Amino acid sequence: MKVQVKNLRKTFGKTVAVDNISFAFDSGHIFGFVGPNGAGKTTTMRIISTIEDPTGGDVLLNGISVVEEPELARRVVGYVPDTLPAHADITVHEYLDFYARAYGLRGKKRTQAIEAIEEFTNVTGIREKHLKALSKGMKQRVSLGRALVYDPDVLVLDEPAAGLDPRARVELRELLVLLAERKKAILISSHILTELTEICNGVVIIERGKILETGTIEDVLKKSAPRRTVAIRLLEDNRHQNPQLLRELLQTPFVENARDVANEIHFELTGDESAACDILGELIAKKFKIIEFRQTKANLEDIFMNVTKGGVQ
Amino acid sequence: MNPKFAAVKNHFTNWREWELNPIVIKELRQAVRSWAVTGMLLLFLTVLFITSLVFLVGQSFNVHENTELGGTMFQAFAVILAGASILFIPLYIGVRVGAERVESNTDLLYVSTLSPGRIIRGKLLCGAYMALLFFSACMPFMAFTNLLRGVDLPSVFFILFFLFLVVCAANQIAIFLACLPLSRPFKVLLALAGFFFSFWIIGGMIAMTFQMMRSGVGAMMADRNFWIAIGTALGAGVALVGLFYVLSVALISPPSANRARQPRRYLTLVWLLGGALTIIWIFQVAQPELILVWTYATFFLMVFALLVTISNADELSPRVRRDIPAGGLRRLLAFPFFNGAAGGLVWVAGLTGLTFLLSELILTHARDWFSASFSLSSTDQEKIWLYNSTLIAYAFAYALTALFIHRQFMPRRQPKIAGLLIVLLAGLWAIVPGIVLFFLNKLSWKSVESLQLGNMFNIFSLQEDGQRIYHLYFATGWLVLVLALNAPWFLRQWRNFQPLPARVPPPLAETTPVP
Repeated sequence: MKVQVKNLRKTFGKTVAVDNISFAFDSGHIFGFVGPNGAGKTTTMRIISTIEDPTGGDVLLNGISVVEEPELARRVVGYVPDTLPAHADITVHEYLDFYARAYGLRGKKRTQAIEAIEEFTNVTGIREKHLKALSKGMKQRVSLGRALVYDPDVLVLDEPAAGLDPRARVELRELLVLLAERKKAILISSHILTELTEICNGVVIIERGKILETGTIEDVLKKSAPRRTVAIRLLEDNRHQNPQLLRELLQTPFVENARDVANEIHFELTGDESAACDILGELIAKKFKIIEFRQTKANLEDIFMNVTKGGVQ
Repeated sequence: MNPKFAAVKNHFTNWREWELNPIVIKELRQAVRSWAVTGMLLLFLTVLFITSLVFLVGQSFNVHENTELGGTMFQAFAVILAGASILFIPLYIGVRVGAERVESNTDLLYVSTLSPGRIIRGKLLCGAYMALLFFSACMPFMAFTNLLRGVDLPSVFFILFFLFLVVCAANQIAIFLACLPLSRPFKVLLALAGFFFSFWIIGGMIAMTFQMMRSGVGAMMADRNFWIAIGTALGAGVALVGLFYVLSVALISPPSANRARQPRRYLTLVWLLGGALTIIWIFQVAQPELILVWTYATFFLMVFALLVTISNADELSPRVRRDIPAGGLRRLLAFPFFNGAAGGLVWVAGLTGLTFLLSELILTHARDWFSASFSLSSTDQEKIWLYNSTLIAYAFAYALTALFIHRQFMPRRQPKIAGLLIVLLAGLWAIVPGIVLFFLNKLSWKSVESLQLGNMFNIFSLQEDGQRIYHLYFATGWLVLVLALNAPWFLRQWRNFQPLPARVPPPLAETTPVP
């Protein structure tokens, strides 16, 4: 299953919510969709899920256009919105049963599908509870269950981790990895970027409706953060040597932007790993009592902070 | 075997696997747990119970036997039932559909593989089941009145059946209003209008019930005219419900689909059936004036159709274009039944023109065919011709002017602006000169009785009959001018009405449960 977003554009009056964006992802991939509030993430996800019509462009789900054939597209896409199911007077089981019926599952097949999904999303114990009586985390699970009940090939999840407790977040991450292993193409938006770095293969960074960066996580990290940051910590009794160490580093080749950060000395290394080894050797030779010398890898959060400006439309 | 036929055959041979519409199941599950429904039902039963008690206790103080007690009680129950079911059920169904149509609600049942038709049928069926619930609660009370005399059982069942159909029709209208793509304030206004309109329906139903009670349905059943009247009312009702059904389905269909086809096909069919029935009636009762009922009903519908048609976009989606027939004649015949203002205009003009011609043909030859019973004078006939032709010419002139202004001066604006422009142009031209002249003529409305060319409503208020012809000349001239102005646009639309090669969608894996 290939998901292709092609020159997608959506305007609301004079506001351009999504401005001619294009990206693609595939089965087995978890694609992170990040951007500040009001960047156009939800609008894009709603278009992919056939809830909204684009002003221009298209989204192809294995060649099926969400604009031209939304009925067909709906069979392959499952959407977990950022708003949770709020139906009154309906139980979890009835809710899932309705969506299974609505997607044409019949008889035994439907019963099996619902049972499997209830087990998979861990809602079997609350299946007879009313939706309105559920906690946010439980509603999130039900919402995911609804999107999965007809086994779609594409999953679009809008802020699924928002409001979840740490355990539920870990479980959700495991669930998504499992789904990706089952060859689902997953697009997920979240503000918890450290989590996305752990589970995503690719990422799209969007702001003011425009794509700022897109590609595999490794590519984006390489492209947006080519320099390594190195942190040095001296033995506690020798911290008074920090200013001396700072001066020393400023005179060392391949070192830039050396600074004192919470009793640690941080600097940006413009050279490769052997340059780092040379610097460490040199400092030890100069009798600096180093207890920690570590390279800090840039993560999605750093890149996000670097490339976005926090602009809202 | 034809694939469509094979699908139908397959559907019926697998009747054991038939399942109820998912929406009906969900809605009923929610309805039986909802406080609104159970509360209303309890209140309804309490009112019925108290009413029965009041009547029975009141009768116990009366020494004379009341042979009309059953009838009087039945009338009271009918009023309660009509009030409860016509006011509450359509409101409940309409509000639920409206809430699901709100854009911010992503928990939509519309994002599923359920077809728009199935969604509307599900909502309608749910309304019908709820009506059955209310009716079955009321039925024992009403059947009991038969034991008290004053009402016959056929009347009880007949009135209940008719009332049930009216509730179903009101439900369909409520669903249609809820499906309209309007903002919440407009929907609230519509709901209020619908609420007050319901009183009118209730009034009509009660009047009809009382009339039937007085005459006795059992006694009337032997009369052929009774069945003809019932059949006509039922036919008109079913046609109206059908119209609101196809319109609702079109409203919730994807914008890329050919939304115009079903409503236009349906209206054409109803128009044909209505015309055929009217002609049969004319010859049955020898009253050619009856043709005017069909004529004016068609004109009334076509005015709305014109407003909607003009508001259509010009571009056809690739999905719609793939359905355009390739053959020349078939393409020509398909043109009026596809999305787009141009095709819609042809369809409206075709139906209006044919109605006008047929109506004129019958009225012109009426004197020869039905000399004894034809009551219209030749002056009346001329007046009808003049009114009809002038109003049609004005309607099209306004529509084409709005279309021209929109396409020429604001093509990037939404096409529904064109529909709004017709109303604005006609309204302003009717009101503004009248108000200006009112002040110029020392606060006198006399000016509305004199000739105001371009004001289509002026035809009705003109004092001098002879001046009406000037309206026709003016409207025709105006129509010819806007036709000429819009001709290049129209030709462009026709040239663009070309089929795209059909695309075979990639096969989809069968839906299977997650293991």
